[in-house]
Amino acid sequence: MAKNFSRRQFLKTMGITAAAGVLAACTPAVTTAPSAEKATAAPAAAVSGEKIKMKWDTFRGPGTGWNEERIKTFVEKNPNVEIEFRALTGATQQDNYGKMYAQFAAGDLGDIIAFDPSHFQFWRAIDKAVIAPIDDLVKADNTDLKQWYEQFIGLQKYKGQMYGLPSWGWAGQDTIVINAVQFKAGGLKLPDPKAHDTSMDTIAEWAHKLNQKGNPYGLGMTFDESHLVVLARAFSGDVIDADGKKCLLATDKNAQDALRWAYKMAKEEKIMPRPADVANMAAALLDGKLTMYWGGSLDARNFKRGIKDATKTEAAQALLPKRPDGKFPCQLRGGTWNIGKNSKNAQMAYQFLKHITTLEGCVGFNLVAGQGAFVRPDTVAELIKNDPIHEWFIPNLENGIPANAPSNSRGKEYNDAIAAYATKMMDPNENIAFEKGLQDLHDNIQKVLDMEPA
Amino acid sequence: MANAISPPKVLTGRRRVSPAQRRQNLYGYLFLTPWLIGFFGLFVGPGLYSFFLSFTKYDVISSPVFIATRNYVDMFTKDDLFWSSLSRTAYYAIVSVPLTVLGSMFLAILLNTQLRGITVFRTLFFMPSLVPIVASIILFKILLNSDFGLVNTALRGLGMQDPPGWFADSRWSIPSLILVRLWGSLGGTQMIIFLAGLQGIPTELYDAASIDGAGSWHRIRHVTIPLLTPTIFFNTVLGVIGALQTFAAAFIATEGGPNFSTWFFALHIWKQAFDYFNMGYAAALAWFFALVIVALTLLQMRLSKRMVFYMGE
Repeated sequence: MAKNFSRRQFLKTMGITAAAGVLAACTPAVTTAPSAEKATAAPAAAVSGEKIKMKWDTFRGPGTGWNEERIKTFVEKNPNVEIEFRALTGATQQDNYGKMYAQFAAGDLGDIIAFDPSHFQFWRAIDKAVIAPIDDLVKADNTDLKQWYEQFIGLQKYKGQMYGLPSWGWAGQDTIVINAVQFKAGGLKLPDPKAHDTSMDTIAEWAHKLNQKGNPYGLGMTFDESHLVVLARAFSGDVIDADGKKCLLATDKNAQDALRWAYKMAKEEKIMPRPADVANMAAALLDGKLTMYWGGSLDARNFKRGIKDATKTEAAQALLPKRPDGKFPCQLRGGTWNIGKNSKNAQMAYQFLKHITTLEGCVGFNLVAGQGAFVRPDTVAELIKNDPIHEWFIPNLENGIPANAPSNSRGKEYNDAIAAYATKMMDPNENIAFEKGLQDLHDNIQKVLDMEPA
Repeated sequence: MANAISPPKVLTGRRRVSPAQRRQNLYGYLFLTPWLIGFFGLFVGPGLYSFFLSFTKYDVISSPVFIATRNYVDMFTKDDLFWSSLSRTAYYAIVSVPLTVLGSMFLAILLNTQLRGITVFRTLFFMPSLVPIVASIILFKILLNSDFGLVNTALRGLGMQDPPGWFADSRWSIPSLILVRLWGSLGGTQMIIFLAGLQGIPTELYDAASIDGAGSWHRIRHVTIPLLTPTIFFNTVLGVIGALQTFAAAFIATEGGPNFSTWFFALHIWKQAFDYFNMGYAAALAWFFALVIVALTLLQMRLSKRMVFYMGE
């Protein structure tokens, strides 16, 4: 202690130590992509008899017991495998993608993961080499891909390669969910829930007849991306082109007719609830505050499940009209189970992917985990035994239209731009003429599509 | 006499410190160490790193790419929501801070009286500030639902044909958030600080004012308010900083809507960082905003020299 220990020296030492710690912590983890050989080769651990340890990171199913059951049954068949289930519990699904990206950057992302196309993260994760392609694994395993609906296998593909097996999936926003009790009380005859013979004019007519000055409203609708796209598709239009580079709203007359159909009711006639007012259409339908809302056949099933008083509420639906091209207006929504690019046990991870997407796994995913996973015909058949309402889903699962995604992987920005500007356009409190609202919506979508790749 | 005063010694070199003093210093630093580790590790370090990130393009997944000042240029030239979110935040602060500070002050004055059961009133007024922001927002979202909420049902019952849309209406969304803020903070910490300030005012000054013929209003105007100016200043500075950083209320109640009407600057930073993964750009926005807050605080401190009266000066 010959030297004086000054405040300055102390702070300097602390500063250097802290800075060194921060720099060390912030140094990006070095990650390397496994080669196809590595992915398809038999796991070294399996050969040597060591335990294969894998991690499963997901926000799908935690708390229901489904994930644990899938692990247990898999490990029973593969005693040399140990799977750690790490539940992601962000406030929203989008939060969890951020967490997974951070895990990846830290070199700690699991072997089994999920980046869903319908949340627009799938393509970004592939472009950033977070997800491994599985074509070699599918080929080596000789997996029969026909066990899933072709539409949902299509969702797993990107730039000529396959990146996962289907998890959840349904034909999104393809129907008008109806409270049959109020509907019939309004003097209307219920449509056939499996037919596509209700015209858009008829739906508008119902909305007018059933609206009781807002108590209840006849028809409710949200103006987010999935609804707006299906609205445009119901009139044989679309919001963006299949390449995901061009917004079509300024030029596509069909899409404009679709928007005008909604604008008239929401804004000019004010017969729909204000966009931000009914945050939860399903709850409003259950509460009797709405008689119909634009949703998907999955919503019709969920509505039926939520009914407590059968004298006041009964589930029905009216599918959107078949288009002249024979397609049914919808936007297929779905997810994927993926293998992390840095997984050292890709082959075993693939076996686990198969295990959670079998008939048994998928039925459990629906009935235990509470997911809408209609990705396999045999699963839907099982679910029909459980509740015949699932029969309503089949036509659109077989003949649905996939989503068009921005080519620059700016899906979240694309979603937000549509939700913000379409909602603004349809808001009865805003003084926006149709043409101006349309142009603003178009310009802001195009602006997102013109951004540099994410 | 002049000869008796020796010139002061000029201290040169290092002051000699005894071993005991050194040991005592070391203990002091040792006790400070946990805080210092937190300060450098969780505040200074990440702060400096975010400053570095503000000059990069960084999406969490890939390594940061240095792009010099492009983020700073883009925020002023290409970001449609930059100026609008800044002005919206300013509007919120300009309206909510005076209402909160003045409301808390007058509430504190009312609660500073020697009434029987006054502590019950103090507790009742303080209680809303204990409710977590999430709970209070959800409560107000239900109460202020424009179609089915209790408030509008009551207003319709009173004959109002078209009551406000509250959170659902872009004209009413910020006033609705201000209402929530007032409910939660009027009787909260600021009021407690004002009460402490009020109880520090010597009663002799009130007695003297009364003898001079001052009524209640004049006592407040000429005694209470001048002597409360340091407290008003303190609450204003903290209030401005808090209002500018408003995030949770807008995030939970409206997520920036409807039609961007509650898209505050802090929310804009969050969206860029955690929704769009533009971490570098978000860091630049955050640094710009930090500078704005520091500048405003310095401005308030400068103005306070003219307006704040410290007893004993």
